[in-house]
This record gives sequence, C-alpha cells and structure tokens, in this order.
Amino acid sequence: MSVRVLNPNAEVLNKSAALHMNINAAKGLQDVLKTNLGPKGTIKMLVGGAGDIKLTKDGNTLLKEMQIQNPTAIMIARTAVAQDDISGDGTTSTVLFIGELMKQSERRIDEGMHPRVLVDGFEIAKRATLQFLEKFKTPVVMGDDPDREILKMVARTTLRTKLYEALADQLTDIVVNGILCIRKPEEPIDLFMVEIMHMRHKFDVDTRLVEGLVLDHGSRHPDMKRHAENCYILTCNVSLEYEKSEVNAGFFYSNAEQREAMVAAERRQVDERVKKIIELKHKVCSDNDSNFVVINQKGIDPPSLDMLAREGIIALRRAKRRNMERLVLACGGEAVNSVDDLTSESLGWAGLVYEHVLGEEKYTFVENVKNPHSCTILIKGPNDHTIAQIKDAVRDGLRAVKNTIEDESVVLGAGAFEVAARQYLVNEVKKTVKGRAQLGVEAFADALLVVPKTLAENSGLDTQDVIIALEAEHDRGNIVGLNQNTGEPLDPQLEGIFDNYSVKRQIINSGPVIASQLLLVDEVIRAGRNMRKPT
Amino acid sequence: MRELVTIQVGDYANFVGSHFWNFQDELLGLASDPNADSVFKNHDINMDVLYRSGETHQGKPSYTPRLVSINLKGSLGSMSSHGTLYKEEAPAPSDILTWTGGVSTQAHTPRNKNLFLQRLYEEENLSTVNEKNGSNNGSHNEYQDKDIIESLENDVQFWTDYSKVHYHSRSLYELSGVWTDVDEFDNYGNGTNSFSWSSQGEEISDSLRFFVEECDHIQGFQFLVDDSGGFSAVAAEFLENIVDEYKNTPILLYTVRGPGPSASPQSRKRTILGDLHDAVSFSRLSSYCKLIVPVGLPSLSKSKASKFLHVEDEKHYHSSAVYAAALHSISLPFRMLPVGPTTAACSVSGAVDVHGVIQMLSGQGRQNIVSVLDVAMPAYALNGGPNQLSLLENLQPLTPQVAEDVEDMQAVEYMTVHGALAPGGHHASVSEVKDKVDAAFLRANTRPMFRHLSVARSPLPIPLPFPSIFGNHVGQHGEFIGSEMTSSSSKGSIDVYSIPMAARLRSSSAVLPLLESKLQNLHRFGIQRGAAGAEILRSWGFGKEELEEMEEMLSKMVSTLCPPHFSSDSD
Repeated sequence: MSVRVLNPNAEVLNKSAALHMNINAAKGLQDVLKTNLGPKGTIKMLVGGAGDIKLTKDGNTLLKEMQIQNPTAIMIARTAVAQDDISGDGTTSTVLFIGELMKQSERRIDEGMHPRVLVDGFEIAKRATLQFLEKFKTPVVMGDDPDREILKMVARTTLRTKLYEALADQLTDIVVNGILCIRKPEEPIDLFMVEIMHMRHKFDVDTRLVEGLVLDHGSRHPDMKRHAENCYILTCNVSLEYEKSEVNAGFFYSNAEQREAMVAAERRQVDERVKKIIELKHKVCSDNDSNFVVINQKGIDPPSLDMLAREGIIALRRAKRRNMERLVLACGGEAVNSVDDLTSESLGWAGLVYEHVLGEEKYTFVENVKNPHSCTILIKGPNDHTIAQIKDAVRDGLRAVKNTIEDESVVLGAGAFEVAARQYLVNEVKKTVKGRAQLGVEAFADALLVVPKTLAENSGLDTQDVIIALEAEHDRGNIVGLNQNTGEPLDPQLEGIFDNYSVKRQIINSGPVIASQLLLVDEVIRAGRNMRKPT
Repeated sequence: MRELVTIQVGDYANFVGSHFWNFQDELLGLASDPNADSVFKNHDINMDVLYRSGETHQGKPSYTPRLVSINLKGSLGSMSSHGTLYKEEAPAPSDILTWTGGVSTQAHTPRNKNLFLQRLYEEENLSTVNEKNGSNNGSHNEYQDKDIIESLENDVQFWTDYSKVHYHSRSLYELSGVWTDVDEFDNYGNGTNSFSWSSQGEEISDSLRFFVEECDHIQGFQFLVDDSGGFSAVAAEFLENIVDEYKNTPILLYTVRGPGPSASPQSRKRTILGDLHDAVSFSRLSSYCKLIVPVGLPSLSKSKASKFLHVEDEKHYHSSAVYAAALHSISLPFRMLPVGPTTAACSVSGAVDVHGVIQMLSGQGRQNIVSVLDVAMPAYALNGGPNQLSLLENLQPLTPQVAEDVEDMQAVEYMTVHGALAPGGHHASVSEVKDKVDAAFLRANTRPMFRHLSVARSPLPIPLPFPSIFGNHVGQHGEFIGSEMTSSSSKGSIDVYSIPMAARLRSSSAVLPLLESKLQNLHRFGIQRGAAGAEILRSWGFGKEELEEMEEMLSKMVSTLCPPHFSSDSD
C-alpha cells in the first residue's frame, strides 16, 4: 500500500483481487470467442450504429471490431492478433487457450497454490509439448510437384470453419490452384501475386479462379473494342498525358500565338510517345487476327486515347502498381518505363481480353494466358458483407496452403493433437517433474483440452462424454479426433482434417507466455495523470 | 476540363470538408432552381471539376464529390460508410448466405438522426414516391427551419450531422482498429503506432485511384489534414504514397485544426509533447508538397478574422464553417472556365489551376512553400466598410502565429473576391471589382511584388445547416447594416442568404514566427543535448539523422524568408 502514501488518489488492487481481475478478463474474452470455433460454430453478425453490417466467423476480425477497453483483455487480444499476422490463423484458439490456462490456474490457486509454481510447470509443459509436436506432425514432401490432395485437405479444413460446406469445397480448389499457379520452385510464395477481386454480382457460388488478371477499370474511349482475342499486351509506366513541364522554367511568352506554339510543342512530345507505341503495334500485328492492348500505370489523356483508338489499340490507364508486376507474371513480357526501347520482346500475350460493365464499374479480364505465374480470385456475391466475408475466408485459405508448403508438414486436426498431447503430458512428462511444478504441468495439460471441448460444446454434445470417449480411444493406441456430427471418435487422417503446423506451434508458444505474465501480476495500480513524474 | 480530387484526413478536416461540400451542394441547387438569384446561374463555373457523375447499383444517376475522406472508426455518426446514395437495402438475418450454422447478432444501438437529417431523409422519400412505410407515413410533421437550426446549434457531434451531400460509397474510409473516443490518437506517435500503411494503405490508395482513373486530365489534389493529432502520421504516409504514384500532379495541402482547449493548465510534459508533435508533423507534411497552408487559429472567436462573426470556439461546427468558406473562395478559380479578356459580360475572371497557384506562390524567387490564408468574411462592399476601410484591410489571417504589418518586398499574393456588393447593394460586375481592387492596391502602403486577382460574381450561398455565426451587422446579402440594436443573438441561415467573400493566399515573410517557433521547439525539445523530449521522439520512431534532416529543412525554410541583409535574388 505504499503507493497510497505517495498518491492518495491511486486505486490499488492487491494480490488476489488483481489476479481475479486478470482471470476474469481472460475468461470474458474466451466466452466471446468460444462460439466461433470449428465448423459448427456460430457466425457473428455485427450491426453498427449506422446500420452497417459485418459478418465474421474469424476471431481476428472480431477482436478488431470490438472496442475492448479492459487492459488485460487488450493484452490478450494483441497477442492473438499478432498470431494472425504471423501465421494467418489461430486467433480464436489462442484466446481460448489463454483463457483456459487462466481458468485452470484459478482453480489451483484457490486451493492455495502459488502462481510462481504454476508458471514453472507451464514452462516445462510448453517445452515438452513443442517436442511432442515435432514427433506428432505429419511430414509432407513438397518438392517440385506438391501433393495436391494434402494441400486441399488443409485448405478445406480452414475454409469449412468459415463458410458453409459446398462453398468451402468450391473455394478449396480455387485456393489450392491459385497457390500452385504462383508458386515457383526455390522461391518464397508471394501471396500478393494472387489478386483478389470482387464483383457485386450474381451469387457466392459464381466465385472463380481466373488464370490471368482482372483489372477493376476499363478503357475510356467509346471506340475501343470491348472484346478482343489474340492480344499482345504492352505493360508500361509512361505518361501519355500532357503535363506542364515540372521544373521551374515557366512559360515565357509575349503574345497568344507564342503561347499556342509552346503548348503545341509540349503536346508534340506526348504525341511522339503515342506514335512509338502505334509503330510497335504495326510491327507485331501485321496480320489481322491479333490485337494490341496497352495497360499503363500513368494517365492517358483523351487526345492520346483518340490516336490509339483510331489504330484499333485498346488502352487502359492508371493501372494499379501491383498489377504491373502481376501482368508481367501472368502474360509475360516486361514492364517498360520508356517508349524509346520498345521491342516486340517486351510484349506479353493473352488469348482473350474483354470488358465487363456493372453499372458504373468496369472490369477488364485478361485471360487465356500461356504460362501464368499470377492469377486472380474473382469473388462474387449479392451484397457487400457476403463478399467481405468470403474475402476474409479466401485470405485464410491462401495462408493455410502457403503455410503447408513452407512448413513441409501438417498436424492432424479435429482435436487429435490436443488429446494426444494431453495424454503425453499426464502420462509421461508429469512423472519426470519433481515437486509441485507437476500441478502446473497438469493445469497446462487440462487447458489443452479446451479445443476438443469447445468443438463438442459448439456441436451441442456433452463435453464430458466426448472427452472420456476420446481418451479411451486414445489409450487404445489410436490417434483420435472428434466427429462433430455424432460425438464419436474419428480418425482425422481418414477424414482429411489437417491443421497447419506453424499455427499450432505458435499457439503453444505464445499462449503460456501471456498467461504466465498475467498470473504473476500481484498488484494493479490505477493512478491519475499527476502520478506521472514530469520529465 | 481539369479535375480536382479532394482528400480529407482526420476529424477536423472532415468538419471543414463537410461545410465545404454543403456550399457546393447549395451552389448546385441554386443553379437549377428557377426562383434563385440570377447571380448563381452562371455557366462559367464548372462543377464537374469537383464532382463526378456515375450511377448507383440501382441504375440511378448520381453526382458525387471526387473525395476520399479518412477518419476514425465510429466517426461517421448515423451515416453508413457506404454513403447515403449507394446504401444497400436493410438486410435481414436471412441474408446470411455464407453460413448454414447458427448466427448471433450483436447490434449497436442505432444512432438517431437529428432533425436536420430526418428532414433530408423525408424530402428524399417524398421525391421518390415508391416506398411508403406505414409508420413514417402518418407523421407528416414539418420540421420548422428554426427547430432544425436550434438542434444543430446544440448538438453536432459528428461531421455527418450537418452534411446534406450524398457521398460516393468509395469516398468514406474508416481506419479499422482505432475507435473515436476510445483510443488515444492525439499525437504523431499514436498515429504511427496504431496505423500501418502496409495493412490499410492499399485500400485507401485504391479508393483514390478509383477517382483519379476517371479523370481525363487531373489538375491536382486538394488535401486537407487535421494536423492536431495522430492523423498527421496517417497523412504523411498517404502523401508519400501519392507523390510516389502521381509524380507530377500538384498537391495543395491545408493543415487545419480546431481552436485549442481554452488555456487549461497543462503539465509541462504535455506542452512539450504538443510542441514536438506540431514541429514534427509540420516538417513531415511539408516535405511532401509544394505548397502548405497552415489554417487554424488557437482562438478564432477572439481573432480579428471574426470581427463580424460570433464564433464559439468550443464548437467545431462553428469554427470549421469559417475555414470552409475561405477554402471555397480559394478553390473557385480552379473551376472557372477560362474566358478571353474581351468578353466583358462574363461573370468570372482570373481562372487559374492548382499548378498555376503553386507556381505563383512558391515556385518563383524565394521558393517559400508556406503560405498564409487570409479571409474577409463577409467582404466589405466596394465603396468601403463601416469605417471606410477598403476591402484589402478587411482581410485577416486564419493562419496562426503570423506577424502583422510586415514589409515584405517579395511577397506574392493570390486573391479571390466573389459576390462583392456594389454601392447600390447589388452584386458588382467583374470589371467593377477589378478596378476597385486595383485602385485599393495602388493606395495601400505595402504592396506585394506580384499579385493575381480572381473575381466571380456569385457570392457564397449560406446553406440551411450553416451555423448561426453572423453578427447583427450582417444583412440578408452580407451587406453591413448600420443599426446595431436589432437583437442580441447571432444570425444564421434564416436571416442571411448569401455573403460576399474575399480570400487570399499570401507568400510572405509574415509566416516567419510560425516557422521559427517550430524550428526552435524541435531543436530545444528534440535535438539539443539532454533534450526533454528526445525520448518521446525516439518512441515515435525517429532517429537522430532524421531529426537533423528535419531541422535542416525547417531552417532552410526560415532562411529563405529572412535573408541576413537585403539581397535581392530575383531577376
């Protein structure tokens, strides 16, 4: 209570009160996210003050949308969000695991244990669990031609927790094919090379993978073709609009004619550039079957568009910077920064380029490319919140596939790992630990069961029955997961339920760290601003 | 046509912007209203410069501002982030197509629309007579203008509360993860910590690209940033991105801020924090643009600029209206149609584009990129104001920390006068105004080296949601009434229909005190050995070199304005 002496206004929570505050915050957060977990969880619909809707089943999104004010909860939420940043999934599990660790600790602390001892046990258990994970994981050889089935199973496991089954299965193929399209041997996967584009149009099941690119703008000239086949693609970053010369040299003129002449000279420079492009077009499109498309990162003004349109060239302006890179990967050729060194080698090729107009929005499809290393997932849906939710799910799916390829291993899902790890901790590790730290290991082991328990609870099953059944089956020497429909044990290997190795590892790593920190807090001081020492 | 894209970053910037767009909307409305004053019916001002035409998902045509507005989560009040026009129909729980399992709904209590917004909404429903809701139908209560104004005066909480403009669905962007009123977002460090460009920047720059791509020939960006808090950091990131992407497109940057807290005793630490924030954000922001105009007096109500106004400092709704009016005047010439000098009957003169203004003010001679914004609101009639003062003496700065009565031989001025009243009480013609202003210049004691004058006949229209900030001296058309004893309360949009305005950007050594104080604060609190704020700056992520670079930049700005001895480098 020495703080009181210094500042009578300070609020102090002592030992047990401080601990309970932390535990309650962790449990509270756990309660919020609990119903999210697994393919039987509930989806959350968030309606804002102005009627805006957000649909989510993703713990990460939910945490970001909630105005969390409790300092402990903020700490846990930050860890969970960091989890998502690193591995792309597992936010809900992290929060559940931390909450459960706190809950298990509470029981033991109420019986008189010191938090320090529990924390020591956590540390031992964590190390043992990580070692066990190394043994438990299923290695997957990636090589040049990855096992498509395994990737699909991982993607399906993730997607089915976010979207209904039929749509999830459809997206599974899209996501896996997308990753395999951009994957290059010996290089890390750059997920940005999968463009995610959306259209508010038709239904969610019309979502598809476009091998090529979809741009969210169209040509700005009425005479340009809306549909072209056999197209040469020029990807460039060249200004085709008349700009006043930048440097401080202003125009100095003494009469109107002179001024006109100056302007005309400036204009001529732009025209020269356009003419060079037209020249190239004539060179490569000598036959009448092929077309020429210019996709420019900079602007193209109406006179330039006119010139291009007259020559039958399709031109798009202000393309996204990232699309310059994607276009080259999808169509071949190279992005040119100046029209001086134009050659036919710098051109890419696409079998089909066409425009799709939806109200005021235009989309340009660049399809039928030869050897794509970039692709687009085109999400469709009748309204914005559906699209947003599918988009979130697709991102998670892509991350899951990417993780699998990079981890070169997967972990059996449906709670199988948690059950196995718990039995390992209780039956083997606990005996090797001396003294009261055993109880810490036990608490950790029990906390692991939160995943199968919550899965069971969300499916409306009796958690006790399920855990007993699972443990019995496990002790018979089988690897078991939970069948959410029946509550019976199942073999996740047969059902094709796989989780990411890196996600699991991250959860086991970060959960106990935060829980330990929170347990060791023995005083909470809330003091006014005047407490702070002026520097 | 040369399009202008507007960007508003931060709370106060959106307050100002909301008024700004209300003026534009009023102008549009008056131009198509057969009963309106004929001065508003000119075709020499092209609104397409600021607005875009499109169509909504339902196929209805739309005419919306080319605008990207960034703000904190929850700062849109009762407006949907999709805007009002592009809003979807109210969704039902059955709308959830992506999940077959359970659904739990967490609904925020709906924000109530105030009287003003309710009436806007009802008017709209009347014009599109297709939906008739039983509940709303019966209550045909005509809200009185007076009640509406009163309700606006008393509780404007969000900038959307008094906005009568339809925004495009891509215009409004809320920073996710940062909530208004919940999170601290009041200095540069908070801004950099809670906002990362890599995660949210893409969406923002996509929205901007959407508006830029449509432009055949963009003339520039009009960038408003609330530089009093974390938004400086957001804006700096955004500006860096824009400069990178649209290299040769000029940016006209206004840093706006509301009147500060009324001299509450602050701890030393907080003062240092504030001073450092100001210095850092000023130098960061100015490094990305060619012309920066700091706007926002610490106390608008006590300043000379509000001599004829009753502004309450604590209401952002009030003070932002004054700034918005000035910005409107400054931006008028950007959308004037260039007309030859011979057509005397035209209603505008002095068209110029953003590039031209920037070249004029900062491109020549001294290359001073900081300009002062002056305003006369309302402007005096051409025959002089109450004390026979001329229009020029009526202009008062809205830029803080500006020196008065500086003699600067190399000053450059860019001035807009619109809607000025002739002695007879009617709107003076363009040539009359030009002659009078020229004459005033000749008589003035201090003359700038160069000046540009733009004139328009149309005055500033006062829309209904404009705050009641006019004093009793101001008449229906912004003329000055001699009698002072009508009523004590201030006048608003019911009593005043339009006012003449004059505004001016001035590149002059009058900004020296502002620059010097920033430089001094940065040096004293941030760079000096054992500086009190060195730790703070480190936590904001600035290294020593960066700080020294900033200092150098600021001192260069100062030195261009105060040559050690008289030396003219102009040729």
